[in-house]
Amino acid sequence: MALTTQGRTRLARSGVLAGLILGAVFAAGPVLWMLSSSFKSNTEIFELPPRLITGSFSFDAYTAILTDSETLRFFFNSYLVAGAVTILTLLVAIHAAYAFSRFEFRGKRVLNVVIISVQAVPPITLLIPYFGLVVGLGLYNTYPGLILTYMVFTLPYAIIMMTGYLNTLPRELDEAVRVDGAGSLTALWRVLVPISVPGIVSVGIYTFMIAWNEYLFALTLTRTTEMRTVPIGIQLLMGQHSYEWNQIMAMSILGSIPVLILFLVLQRYFISGLTAGSVKS
Amino acid sequence: MSTHRRMRNRVTLFTGIATTAVSIVALTGCGSGGSSGAEEAGGDVTIEFAQWWEPELPDGEFRALIDTFEEANPEITVDLVSGPYASTKEQLFAGAASGTMPDVVGLDGAWVSDFAEQGVIADLTPLLDEAGFDDSQLVSQVKVEDKTYMVPVVNFVYPMFTNDDLLSQAGVAAPPETRTEFADAAGKVSDLDGDASGWVLPLSLEAPNGVQNDVMSWAWASGGTMLKDGRPDLTNEDVTSAVDFIGGLWDDGVIAPGSFTMKEQDKVEEFTNGRVGMMIDSLAHINLIRETNPDLNFSISAVPAADDYSGERGIPYASWGIGVAENSEHKDAAAKLVSFLMSEETNSELSTMANAFPGNTESVPAFVEDDDLFKKAFDIYQAGYPANEFVGLPVAEELMRQLGAQLQSALDGQQSLSEALEKAQTEWEGEF
Amino acid sequence: MSIRTFTAPDPETLVNGAQPPKKRRQLRRAGESYGFLAPTLILLLVLMIVPIVMVVGYSFQDNVILKSSSEFTGIANYVTVLTDPGFWKATGNTLYFCLISVAAHLVLGLTFAMLLNSRLISAPSRAFFRALYVLPWLFTAAVIAVLWRMLLSPNGIVNFLLDTDVEWLASPQLALGTVTFINIWAGYPFFMVSLLAGLQGIPQDLHEAASIDGASPVQRFWNVTIPQLRPIIVSLLLLDLIWTSQQFALIWLTTGGGPIDVTEMLSTYTYKLAFANYDFSLAATSAVLVLLLSMVLAVLYVRHQKARD
Repeated sequence: MALTTQGRTRLARSGVLAGLILGAVFAAGPVLWMLSSSFKSNTEIFELPPRLITGSFSFDAYTAILTDSETLRFFFNSYLVAGAVTILTLLVAIHAAYAFSRFEFRGKRVLNVVIISVQAVPPITLLIPYFGLVVGLGLYNTYPGLILTYMVFTLPYAIIMMTGYLNTLPRELDEAVRVDGAGSLTALWRVLVPISVPGIVSVGIYTFMIAWNEYLFALTLTRTTEMRTVPIGIQLLMGQHSYEWNQIMAMSILGSIPVLILFLVLQRYFISGLTAGSVKS
Repeated sequence: MSTHRRMRNRVTLFTGIATTAVSIVALTGCGSGGSSGAEEAGGDVTIEFAQWWEPELPDGEFRALIDTFEEANPEITVDLVSGPYASTKEQLFAGAASGTMPDVVGLDGAWVSDFAEQGVIADLTPLLDEAGFDDSQLVSQVKVEDKTYMVPVVNFVYPMFTNDDLLSQAGVAAPPETRTEFADAAGKVSDLDGDASGWVLPLSLEAPNGVQNDVMSWAWASGGTMLKDGRPDLTNEDVTSAVDFIGGLWDDGVIAPGSFTMKEQDKVEEFTNGRVGMMIDSLAHINLIRETNPDLNFSISAVPAADDYSGERGIPYASWGIGVAENSEHKDAAAKLVSFLMSEETNSELSTMANAFPGNTESVPAFVEDDDLFKKAFDIYQAGYPANEFVGLPVAEELMRQLGAQLQSALDGQQSLSEALEKAQTEWEGEF
Repeated sequence: MSIRTFTAPDPETLVNGAQPPKKRRQLRRAGESYGFLAPTLILLLVLMIVPIVMVVGYSFQDNVILKSSSEFTGIANYVTVLTDPGFWKATGNTLYFCLISVAAHLVLGLTFAMLLNSRLISAPSRAFFRALYVLPWLFTAAVIAVLWRMLLSPNGIVNFLLDTDVEWLASPQLALGTVTFINIWAGYPFFMVSLLAGLQGIPQDLHEAASIDGASPVQRFWNVTIPQLRPIIVSLLLLDLIWTSQQFALIWLTTGGGPIDVTEMLSTYTYKLAFANYDFSLAATSAVLVLLLSMVLAVLYVRHQKARD
């Protein structure tokens, strides 16, 4: 009756593996279909019965996208904007989160409430006054306009999450350094930031995704084709009368590959985060 | 030590503020450098033309057309601002609200009344006059309170498409001409083995134009109207009989599944893949259907009318319309561009590109001469009259959406069709 | 990075270190924290608070934005919106949509994060599954909407595999559940990745100590993992509630708020007021009401934070 330790481990492993495979079907199944559609012709996408791989398997949709200089420009813009937003958001948010996590100051609670709740205003209602503001500041149809806008949307999230991560770290860590004579900035950058890398990476990736996928403001705050981003490029394939299904799918996949690679490269930080000893004190 | 610390803290505070200030200044600084001024040296002007047409047309063709305009008018530069159709309206509103609406704007008939009422688009008549354009050449002008705010550049008419193979398999020899024949044909196609349905009815509330093209078209095709003295009249005989007819088709189960979230694009996919026998659709799709499914045998005919109706048939249409912004500083240049697009030659070219019918009475698109299907369509178009009563109505899209939601509720069995029309009538009256 | 140097506290300073009077110390640290917050505050003030204040202003006027003749109308707009049954229907739908989505996001996200963190599986397999699991994250809402419309269409692959012909999105009975499901699919990676990062922060020896004390894996989960992750989970729940409540593109592009009004959310309701009726005053009013609802949430969150400290 009693299982050996080894047997129990094996059972647990099969359980975990089964769960992982089940989850993977749920997570990746639709994306697999998307991938398959991107290689089909537009009629085959809707044929019955559906097939994963069809006779007319082709890279036409990809060729069409990769040979169009306008579309490549969309990719460039998206990377530039999303990259800048991620770096700037992280820099600003880490400091703000540090203040929220480690300091008491007048107005802290009010600020907290404000930062959290401003995100709740439906962006669509902000669109009109916001547009006027951006035009007034001379930021219309510029990269800085888009970058600052996205920062406004990503900062509250980043601050809340970073505060959450910093709160999981014992105060003794940085207190000790400060008491030691080092300044707060030193304590933050030398102690807290290095051990918060998993959190920073996850916030960074999400910030990147928000900026990468945003559509409404990207469309409204830019005017010329040279300033458009990938989501607008995808929307342009959804015409008034018809959709370029395979190109929509191909462009989405092309857009996601670099992000996926980025994630794969950065995910080692999830594993090499903290080691037990460095936290306990 | 404590002074030392206080110093450092103050330094942190100032550094924080200073960094932000400097970065914002830097960002705004290079920002303003990037935006282009409308005025250029030497009296030359740049006008912006916002539309969704360029991405809809074959690559580069629309730009080439505009290039010929610039060649003929070297003092004018045209900046094409192209966006997706689905968001064009929001774009124009954001622009109108902040006084940065592009000089020339592509318009849909459904938006005109709202833009005109808010005073953001200009009366075109005096402008075209000044530009020396004779407006008697125009097929139609969209007016609000007797002023012309939009000119349809090209029109997409919506005849009935029939899948001839499916129809003949079902034993239907010719495309139906009356409602009874249509219901009969739809029933026969649905009864075939396989998953084909007789008809397809897109009623999505996101893009509610199915209410205009696929529902109200039945009333218009029998010479009917949904208005009385310019006000809603949804409970009249014309609309009631059309809606009852559709309700009958629904109850017979001959309408393809998925209606309530289906959009125009989905409707075409269903037809192209041979899953519906008949649809009412834009001529703009002929080439698309041919390209995606070269084997499909299909033809077009007029939308069937009520059995006892023998008069002229109204044929629904959608337009690419054009208007000029009220706050434009270069209305004269804008009017020149409009006149150019409406001129006989350009208009022929543009309608050929778009597979649409011209907005200039004298223009003849090339496809009418060398394509049988288009020729047939042109005959239908000329035998009837263009009918789209939603054009120029206030909040036209919302009217479609309200009626669409009521119809959905009735088709779902939550109320009767006449209740649906009465409720929609009340909602519409509130909007006028 | 020589963490050790810094983590070792100097006992001398700890004991004898000049402890300034409490009040002055707080003041000083306050100045410092404002410094850290300055970039955030300036940015949010200029680009967020200003437009929000404008929106709040609109909600007390009529004919705003496009007409020049707007007038102060007091709370008339609030009365109009709050007495509209459509608003309450949308509020109910939004609540359903949010609560189910957020709960499912948490359960799925945590489950997947734990599975992916399991040491029973080799590192390369974990990396492989991690990559698969983040996939839904990588696509913009418009693409997620067209993808699922395709999958769930009456002739789509889902019905084919299940051998059914259900109108998942077009049926008034199923549509709300279906859009919620799509949103669950699209949103769980946010929880998963954040929790995965959080799991790395739990010292291994806490688990080891619990094991030695004879705690079962289930007990370890409830007594070690959950309490350790609590600050992150609370932040995630709060953010996700707020974000889900304003999910617009996904709903708009799948159902447009239909069939009839079964998937009408506060976001689509507000959008229609603004861009279908062109009534920006009422749209602003509806937006302000959403803002007030979220402020309640935010206050609760801050209370929670304070209680925890």
